[in-house]
Amino acid sequence: MPPRARPRPEAAGITDQTRKDTRAEAAVHIEGLRWRPLTRRAPTIDGLDLVIPAGQRVLLAGASGSGKSTVLRALAGLLDPEDGEGTHLPAPPQRPGARGLLLQDPADALVAASIGRDAAFGPENAARPRPEIHERAARALAAARCDLNPTRAPLDSSGGQQQRIALAGALALDPELLLLDEPTSMLDTATAEEVRAAVLDAADGATLVVAEHRIGPWLPHVDRLVVLGPQARVLADGPPEELLTTQRDVLVDAGVLVEEEDAQARAPREAVGAPVAALEGVTVPARGLHTPQDLALHAGRLTVLSGPSGAGKTTLLRVLTGALSPATGAVTRPEPSRLALVPQDPEHSFVAATVRGEVLASPYAKDPALVEELLERAGLAALAGAHPHRLSGGEQRRLAIVAALAQRPALLVLDEPTVGLDARRRTEVLALLREARDRGCAVLAASHDPLLLEAADDLRRLTASPVGPEIPPERRLPADALNPLTLCLIGILAAAGSFAVQTWQGGLLALLPTLLLAPFAVRSLRGAALRMAPILLSAAGLAWTTALLGEAPSLSCESWLVGLKEAARITAFVAPGVLALGSVRPTPLGDALAQRLHLPARPVAAAVLALVRVGHLGRQWSTILETRVRRGLGTPRSPRLLAGATLALLVDTLRGAEQQALAMDARGFATAQQRTWAEPSPFGRADLVGLAIAVLMLVWPPVAEMLT
Amino acid sequence: MTRFRTVDLLVTVLIGGAFGVAFLGYGQLYTLIGPLTAAFKPAEGLLAGLWFLPAMLAALIVRKPGAALLAELVAAVLSMLLGSQWGWGTAISGLMQGGGVELAFLLTRYRRFTLPVAILGGVLAALLEWGWEKFAYYQEMSWSFSGMMLVFFLISGALLCGGLGWVATRALVATGAVDSLAAGRAAARAAEA
Repeated sequence: MPPRARPRPEAAGITDQTRKDTRAEAAVHIEGLRWRPLTRRAPTIDGLDLVIPAGQRVLLAGASGSGKSTVLRALAGLLDPEDGEGTHLPAPPQRPGARGLLLQDPADALVAASIGRDAAFGPENAARPRPEIHERAARALAAARCDLNPTRAPLDSSGGQQQRIALAGALALDPELLLLDEPTSMLDTATAEEVRAAVLDAADGATLVVAEHRIGPWLPHVDRLVVLGPQARVLADGPPEELLTTQRDVLVDAGVLVEEEDAQARAPREAVGAPVAALEGVTVPARGLHTPQDLALHAGRLTVLSGPSGAGKTTLLRVLTGALSPATGAVTRPEPSRLALVPQDPEHSFVAATVRGEVLASPYAKDPALVEELLERAGLAALAGAHPHRLSGGEQRRLAIVAALAQRPALLVLDEPTVGLDARRRTEVLALLREARDRGCAVLAASHDPLLLEAADDLRRLTASPVGPEIPPERRLPADALNPLTLCLIGILAAAGSFAVQTWQGGLLALLPTLLLAPFAVRSLRGAALRMAPILLSAAGLAWTTALLGEAPSLSCESWLVGLKEAARITAFVAPGVLALGSVRPTPLGDALAQRLHLPARPVAAAVLALVRVGHLGRQWSTILETRVRRGLGTPRSPRLLAGATLALLVDTLRGAEQQALAMDARGFATAQQRTWAEPSPFGRADLVGLAIAVLMLVWPPVAEMLT
Repeated sequence: MTRFRTVDLLVTVLIGGAFGVAFLGYGQLYTLIGPLTAAFKPAEGLLAGLWFLPAMLAALIVRKPGAALLAELVAAVLSMLLGSQWGWGTAISGLMQGGGVELAFLLTRYRRFTLPVAILGGVLAALLEWGWEKFAYYQEMSWSFSGMMLVFFLISGALLCGGLGWVATRALVATGAVDSLAAGRAAARAAEA
């Protein structure tokens, strides 16, 4: 056993009585806690007793499905009586954020367009005054050891950084109880260590409950280990070193302790034959991959691509599968039907309503006998009639791999196939990868899982700069000086004014102010062209429709002039608004809608979050499309493929929404009807000019008509 | 229960966001019916119902007053900020489409979330959207062609918004992704009964 990292809490408590008093609310006291979600027949927590003195650090261990996450939700006071039946549920905390919650996927905790604003979210919900919000956010970011530029987008940073930003989000409200749900399970070993250190440092003095299935790294830092079995039944409870010696078999049975694996399973294998696929001198500078990369994948070998997040693992995989073209270098790969891809989130690839249907879904999977055999090997035969989306995380991973193997691929490519799984389930996935390898398939997995690294026949480590490239600041435009509401008003009044257009001459004249003012709202010629092209195309389309289907004889000179008038009118209707909106960003728009128009705070804040997450949603959408095209299910134009992809995006979004709601409520959003806002929404002198422009846009078209 | 919990609110706005993203890929569908619309422009109305889907799914899944309107508005504002060719017209469209769907469920006082109500919602959304487009974009189109366009809009609203939206909601319930929402709870109650 490593030496204890800190003194026992009792000792600390005696010397520091005042601290103990202020933390009194954090002490957990639950008795006979039961919880059954309305959509389940059996309870997920069946009579749990748990008393945690203030200041104690508890490791809550248990295999996936043992109810750890539900227990944490209960402790946070976030089990919603609308969702299920519970008895002896702990009440929500007295003040917002008193119980901080960190989730497995840090991306679920991120709510804002910038890191600084993200850390401010909790204090905003708690309706703190503006100077205090900034002070708390800065302090929390420092405490979480997050030293990135606070104007950067949190969703663009690496997994480890995201988890520290999420930690800052919790710390900004001074939690007395910090609840962590597998906070490092998606991170590589080194990054996990950094995050763990930041957590332990920041939680100094607070009560800490960590739910984990990988207990080793936490053991030196906790006072108490609680092992949960199915339905959150306590199997063992006590000081870690005591349980490790006296109840070792209980821990192994519960799946939280893995016995050393036999070395004979990974005897070295020799490289054989020509590679099935290869990368030669590949660079993708646009994705930060500057040094030329070579990679050769041989039949019957398991290759693992490793490296910190952001090192370019996913980029290399996408180049290999043909989803991304390299700037330089050559790629050889098997024909499409013999290249199978398993995405990190297996649900992104699912299309069928049964497990067996899923394995047979790809037109490349032609052999029903092979399908049955693979299902048997993966332990999924009994679940052949179940709904793929209803399987557990580990079963979903195995199903996606089986579906890939059913097409007898020469090359199987997997993105993080074991991330987030517990020890037993990771071993099951590894067994399936070995099965694929032994069938003569070349297997490539991007992973930072030590288990896979150990098992690899070939190991390839990527290194990269830990911080992504800084995005150069946008050129500042005169339009950027305006309040978003002023910019909206310009567009709205211009649209209203455009209805005064009656003749083609008046219509063309009506466009004059838009043409003259456009340079003040256009960042680059290319950007302007991109924004204006669809408008002009629609206007041309409208002119054509009008000339063809108007009251005047079809396609006569008269009808074309009416068409021209319509094209000018619609351009006057649309263009000013589109140009002005180029300077509107979701966050300042939300600030303005809430503080200036006094729209309800929670819907506004939620809508801003949705707009901020669009980039993230876009990335999911591309992964989903790529995965499906790769499975041979159709082209991105096929209605069937688009329908399936939309459904998959919605499943992903809905599951994410549930986690995000938890993270937000732990930061006081549930009661934030009267929240404050970290940034004001000022109206300045420039807005007077903007107002004048808006009025001009309204009255100019009728004036133009009179002039003609 | 009309109170919006955080999860209700997030699901509503994120349905809007997700469709805002998916819609960028839907442009491809217009190339499929390209030959048809080149010959007969009002046939474009055949795809109109797809754009009302965020409202329909939010209403059927969240089942709370205002969900349809909010989801459709988020989708509309999103396409507006990304540079939709209809500018502020998109926001009005969002209001009309979300409002139409909302109206159907309001008529049942948010008690019925069945296929016929969904179809009615799609039809009402199509009617309002057509009215707005006729006023804003197709003033000079002759009434006979406008009338044909309305027919296409109504068919599309009933099938692609009402019918498809209802089917999609059932598919989502089957995945378990909506278990903590009104649609998932209703399905669980029905299964127990």
